Amino acid sequence: MSGNIRGFGYLESLPPVTFRRLYQQPATALAIFRRMLPNLAKTIVTTLLYNETPVALGDLEALVRPESYREREDAFSKLRRLHIITENNLDVSLDPVFKKNFRGDHHSFGVPCNTEDKKKITVQFLDNYATRQFEAILHYMVGTHNEVKPSEGVITLLTKGGLMERYGAGSQATITKNGFSFLLQDGNPQVWALLIQYLEMAEELGMEQTDVLHFLLMLGSLELGQAYSVNTLTETQKLMLADLRDYGIVYQRKSSSDRFYPTRLATTLTSESGGLRSASASMSSAMVKDAEEGKGFIILETNYRVYAYTNSPLQIAVLNLFVKLSTRYPNLVSGRISRRSIQEAIKMGITADQVIDYLSSHAHPQMRKSLVTLPPTVVDQIRLWQIEGERMKTTTGFLFKDFHSTQEFEEVAKYAEELGVLKWKKSARRCMFVTRHEQIADWLKRRASAQQQQPKKAAA
Amino acid sequence: MPRAVKGVLIECDPSIKAIILKIDKDSGHGYIVEDLDDETLVVKEPKLAELKLRLEKILEKTQMLEKDEESDPENPG
Repeated sequence: MSGNIRGFGYLESLPPVTFRRLYQQPATALAIFRRMLPNLAKTIVTTLLYNETPVALGDLEALVRPESYREREDAFSKLRRLHIITENNLDVSLDPVFKKNFRGDHHSFGVPCNTEDKKKITVQFLDNYATRQFEAILHYMVGTHNEVKPSEGVITLLTKGGLMERYGAGSQATITKNGFSFLLQDGNPQVWALLIQYLEMAEELGMEQTDVLHFLLMLGSLELGQAYSVNTLTETQKLMLADLRDYGIVYQRKSSSDRFYPTRLATTLTSESGGLRSASASMSSAMVKDAEEGKGFIILETNYRVYAYTNSPLQIAVLNLFVKLSTRYPNLVSGRISRRSIQEAIKMGITADQVIDYLSSHAHPQMRKSLVTLPPTVVDQIRLWQIEGERMKTTTGFLFKDFHSTQEFEEVAKYAEELGVLKWKKSARRCMFVTRHEQIADWLKRRASAQQQQPKKAAA
Repeated sequence: MPRAVKGVLIECDPSIKAIILKIDKDSGHGYIVEDLDDETLVVKEPKLAELKLRLEKILEKTQMLEKDEESDPENPG
């Protein structure tokens, strides 16, 4: 994920109190378990789940092979950061709130509407509705005219989220760098990016943040094609329905209707298949109608020529970001990828990998018949064009310095290397650069407290 | 306890680093967090885009890149 568009990892930055409130809902506890934990962490949680007494840390660690040290540290660190486990000396137990709600008592997965709807809503209808609403947003972003114009609320969301900006009041909004990289993303991350922006805006509007999150995570566990009752929702959640309708995430016939239908965009929110890379697959299976025309329409030749069998203004606008388009026929556009077209895309904040990903995930079935989907020469050249513009290699992270002793430095460096976060170090200066600092900070704290206890014991 | 400072690690040629040092000096040391060695330094994250832009401008003056590749469609790049 690139730029400022954040995904699910956003949750990790929330304070512990918020987590306690979140875990009060079984659906939330389950969604976090399913979507955010590495497999090893899931094993640890299930081990702890039905243990009434805390388990010794050493026993838990013994479950993991010694050579999988890195995975183990990663799993524990994740559990600590999400406040799922609590530690007392060397005893580990699950957060009581999380434990209680993860075990059962699942009343919060929405209440199905028992009465028959006067007009039957089919899954097909919901899919069409979701596609139409969500594509309207994408169309609006690239500035193509579409019969459905997104509501004012959606436009505010896009501008607040930095995906589009307005120069002066009342003027037409234009797309930003972040907006471009947003467009190149797969469906599921796109939906999440919008929802997380919504979450932040909700706070400004005075909506209860945990209420909003509960609702979003609950949507992920609802069943497609089933009507759910509006009456059991909180006031905040009722307000949200109107906005979610605009994004195509839920459907309601009238705003006064006492039932709502989640669309496929909602029900795939927290599913495993909605993970980063496979999202395009889940989205295209989500958009059944689109699968035929939306999937696989680009032919890329070794001579850098691009032929795209499409008449969708959205797809043409996206292609135009990195292809120099020259001809347009009723069902086909053609153009060429050149150094200039790629470098212009890079200037807009699009990476070579995003371009390559887009091309390969939308490659024409004919291209897929060969062993490698895209011509390797072109792929390499696109990467080379990007490197050409980069005169320096940059890595965002943290510089650790002012170590007390060389020994301390070397120990931390070794730990950082084992975690795979060490980027650069220089022993002579006792300086190192790491990509993530949370685990190291944790480790340093534990090491410091262990050292404080030792001298006491020695004195006694 | 050691200290952690947020920033962006830059790895580049010594020649490029010399230019970055000059930019930093001319702007009243607004960019660099820590100068590590000949090919490495850490700069402030929010200033990175600005630094890249200024570097690009200076390099444009020193290098004349051929820009006629668009005229030959059969031999791009």
